[in-house]
Amino acid sequence: MAAAAVERGGKGVTALLVGPAATFFLLLLVLPLAVVVLYSFGERAPAGGYAPAFTFENYLNLASRGQAFLNTLMMAPVGTLLCAVVAYPMAYYLAVKASPRWRTLLLVLIIVPFWTSQLLRIYAWLLILGSKGVPAYLEMIGIEGVRLVNTRFAVLVGMVYGYLPLMIFPIYVSLERLDKRLLEASADLGANPARTFWQVTLPVSLPGVATGSLLVFILLMGEFIIPALLGGGKVFFIGNALVDLFLQSRNWPFGAAVAVSMVLVMLASIVAYMRFVLSRGGMRQQPLV
Amino acid sequence: MADDNKPITRKDFIHELLRYRRGSVSRRHFLGVTGLGLATAVLGNAMPGLRPRKAWAAGELGDTLNFTTWPNYFDQANLDQFTKDTGVNINVTVFGSNEEMLAKLQAGGTGWDVFVPTNYTISTYKSLNLIEPLDLSRIPNFIEADHDPRFIGEAKIDGAIYAVPKDWGTTGYVVNTAKVKGEMTTWKEFWDRTRGDLSGLVMVHDYQLTTIGNALKYFGYSFNSIDPKELADAEKLLIECKPHLFAINSDYQPAIRAGDAVMSVAWTGDATQLQRDMPEIAYVLGREGGEIWTDFYAIPKGAPNPAAAYAFIDFMLDPAVNAREVQAHGYPSTDKRTNALVPKEMLENPILYPAQELLSALEFGAAATLTDPLRAEIMARFKSA
Amino acid sequence: MRNGQNGATVPTVAFRNVTKRFGEVVAANGLELEIRSGEFLSFLGPSGCGKTTALRMIAGFEQPSEGDVLIDGTRVNELPAYRRPVNMVFQSYALFPHLNVARNVAYGLLQRSPRPPRTEIDRRVAAMLDLVQLRGFENRRIWEMSGGQQQRVALARALINEPKVLLLDEPLAALDRKLRRDMQIELQNLQRRVGITFILVTHDQEEALSMSDRVCIMRDGGIVQQGTPADLYDRPVNRYVADFVGKSNFFAGTVLTARGGGAVIELDGGGTVTAGRTGEGLSLLPGDAVSVAVRPEQIVLARREDALPAGGAATISARVQNRIFLGEHIEYLLRSETLGEFLTLAPRRSELTERPFEAGEAVFAAFSTEAALVLGSE
Repeated sequence: MAAAAVERGGKGVTALLVGPAATFFLLLLVLPLAVVVLYSFGERAPAGGYAPAFTFENYLNLASRGQAFLNTLMMAPVGTLLCAVVAYPMAYYLAVKASPRWRTLLLVLIIVPFWTSQLLRIYAWLLILGSKGVPAYLEMIGIEGVRLVNTRFAVLVGMVYGYLPLMIFPIYVSLERLDKRLLEASADLGANPARTFWQVTLPVSLPGVATGSLLVFILLMGEFIIPALLGGGKVFFIGNALVDLFLQSRNWPFGAAVAVSMVLVMLASIVAYMRFVLSRGGMRQQPLV
Repeated sequence: MADDNKPITRKDFIHELLRYRRGSVSRRHFLGVTGLGLATAVLGNAMPGLRPRKAWAAGELGDTLNFTTWPNYFDQANLDQFTKDTGVNINVTVFGSNEEMLAKLQAGGTGWDVFVPTNYTISTYKSLNLIEPLDLSRIPNFIEADHDPRFIGEAKIDGAIYAVPKDWGTTGYVVNTAKVKGEMTTWKEFWDRTRGDLSGLVMVHDYQLTTIGNALKYFGYSFNSIDPKELADAEKLLIECKPHLFAINSDYQPAIRAGDAVMSVAWTGDATQLQRDMPEIAYVLGREGGEIWTDFYAIPKGAPNPAAAYAFIDFMLDPAVNAREVQAHGYPSTDKRTNALVPKEMLENPILYPAQELLSALEFGAAATLTDPLRAEIMARFKSA
Repeated sequence: MRNGQNGATVPTVAFRNVTKRFGEVVAANGLELEIRSGEFLSFLGPSGCGKTTALRMIAGFEQPSEGDVLIDGTRVNELPAYRRPVNMVFQSYALFPHLNVARNVAYGLLQRSPRPPRTEIDRRVAAMLDLVQLRGFENRRIWEMSGGQQQRVALARALINEPKVLLLDEPLAALDRKLRRDMQIELQNLQRRVGITFILVTHDQEEALSMSDRVCIMRDGGIVQQGTPADLYDRPVNRYVADFVGKSNFFAGTVLTARGGGAVIELDGGGTVTAGRTGEGLSLLPGDAVSVAVRPEQIVLARREDALPAGGAATISARVQNRIFLGEHIEYLLRSETLGEFLTLAPRRSELTERPFEAGEAVFAAFSTEAALVLGSE
């Protein structure tokens, strides 16, 4: 019907409707991306920055950031998975178990910490995981020498904590929208509550999990503050490599090449992920977002 | 600090969190502990001679000044005083490295009015046409003769002055002597014990100049070397040490205070501040040498409000104001008139004023290190390894 | 009527004084009902009458506040839904969107412990899809199916478990009129073939009357009247039932004399009617205010008074207000000076011999004594 209306309005109206969005995309997405691709074939100027050239040198040098790619490609999926595992029970409680009177309050409580700066919240974890935090308590019960800060574990904790709401909300929405009669139908057909959860609730809410995972995964791929702070510069992500290349080494062409590769890797992961999710079926009926 | 390993209390937790928030150094904490804050505030207000001389009409200097500096590197009371005197509000932005400042200025459109470059970067800024000679007639508080020429030499290019000195300092390392046994005197010991008994407890800066420079000192090379062979040795050492480091971070005070790290590459002022709260902290300048440096005030080309920039620099160089600055950040001034107003115990503190034989081994950073692609790449490789 | 296999007359489902409250609201009020094995029973009533609550108490989704629900003579108040030998076809079907047709149908079998062998499941799914004429649709997605097809999947999904009772909650509400007719017939045939007790909940009187062996008319949580469709149509106990089951004209009046099953009523608008029948349980005394109910199809129309059949309960002169063409019938809305507006329904075949009445035309209407049923005035 919308298409028909546009048809009637003629091409002028179509252009008018699409124009702002197209301009927006062109100016803020396509153009910068084109510049980045162009830069990636250039050379570092003597004092840093970009000098025009045409070389594949930057791409050939990508292997020197192999560890950063590897870290990102390992930790982002693991972080996403952990996030989903932690978020699901919370979203389930909110959508299914919590009384409607408390639900709004609880939802707000999930967001409230995110009104303070991310930096401060990550700093708080630095203290919690630091030697006067959790390790000091472990020492009191006789477990000595535990070091948590500046490890992969700390980075994972920070990532899960930092992105949990982005996972909780889509799952919450999909569970909240879940037709309660499906659960009754399942019980009616002889499935006990546990089996109903595994066979109906979970699969039907998977689109929410998929949406949340995609959001979190994309952001984790580009994350650099959490590894910088909780990894102490030792757990290094592509994001950190980019920050270094642009803000410290001022090697823009190499930075551009790393950025282009990251975008490609991210697109490939997303396509693979979407294929996997869609192949599980049942996803097309409900929109992913 | 006998109760070092006790769990953090809720009050301490909040305190530490706020310390992080302000940047690693807690200026108020420092002043509160020393009592200097109160003293200078009282003195500054009570003695007319210590007040800035010039009065400005409201609006004459515009209403904002963008000031780009390092974390906890100023006394907020001084900035407030400037705003009170001139009606100019100051937006402070802090940076972590000279490379980062350069990257921003190269990218353009910063809108900065005043920034704080380190000595070895000034010639590059000049050659990239990012700064201009200062009009010294607008900074009467800068009297060249009152500054030791070796601290201000690099600001003078072809007879023109491009920046005026803020303070100077050294780069050594801090050691928590309650936890690190044995006397430490060299960079060789620093790196060897990092790989040895102090594994997991040592920090280095996220800063190519000091991290690579002090790794070069392990082999007795120049702090400023850009020789590929020498740099290869340094990179090998750094990558070997990386798994043994607690962190690579220029913000090392919190980890030292928390006891997570017991040794770190450090600058003068941080060492002063740490020692105030933790007497067991020692500051070591490696016998092999290392860095000595000066930080400057400069005005970027195209600054939106140069009138306010000049007024601000002049205000900050007023000896009374500058003396308060020194007491706040704990770095020594290059200005004789300022030092005359700094408390005696600070002038005698060996952290601020190390023994001459240690000082003479130090090198000023060289301009080439700022732009050398190999040093930049080695630092990046070390971090991403 | 068929009984349980053992020959005893244990009802398949029974309500014993069942009351269900939701807070202040009484959704079911002292229900007493026995449903025999193999019976097709309907709960009929407007929304909020408690019919769905009654069904959900059988399914196990609600527990009675008072009284007992029995299945095969056993009290099941606390038995969870997944342990009850009943299955439900939900309103809008509640098919699993993430499973294809075959897996939806197999769902119930897959919950059994031990799980039947794969071949057995396949065989029974195929047989069920045969029964509902959906062979070849095994791998279809639910949203690729039409409303009628989804309805049949829901039926197959429930019936594959061979339940003692099949519960149907407004199963045809989402279908269009034509399809609804077809499905009514299909459901009825199906019930005869499988011999399972069907309990249907509907607000559609035509649906209830056309399919059921027995209908329970509900109102405000209680059963107003139960009986065969013909019972309810011909002998409604009150105006509510008469109005709900089919259309009816009501003429208000006062009892003059009452004798046997009949009575003479003085109509409020003037004139008298001799009514041949009285509603069940109603005893009339002269002076009682009553309603005389007459079904529209029982009223005969003619252009001349002498063309009316003799021996009628009343003859009314009226004017045609409106004529509605219904295909096989024509409905006339008439207006009389004494009785106000009323409806009649005439078969169209009379048009072949006589031209239909026009709006504004003056006509005479009559109905027989037997057609007039005296009911309480409320």
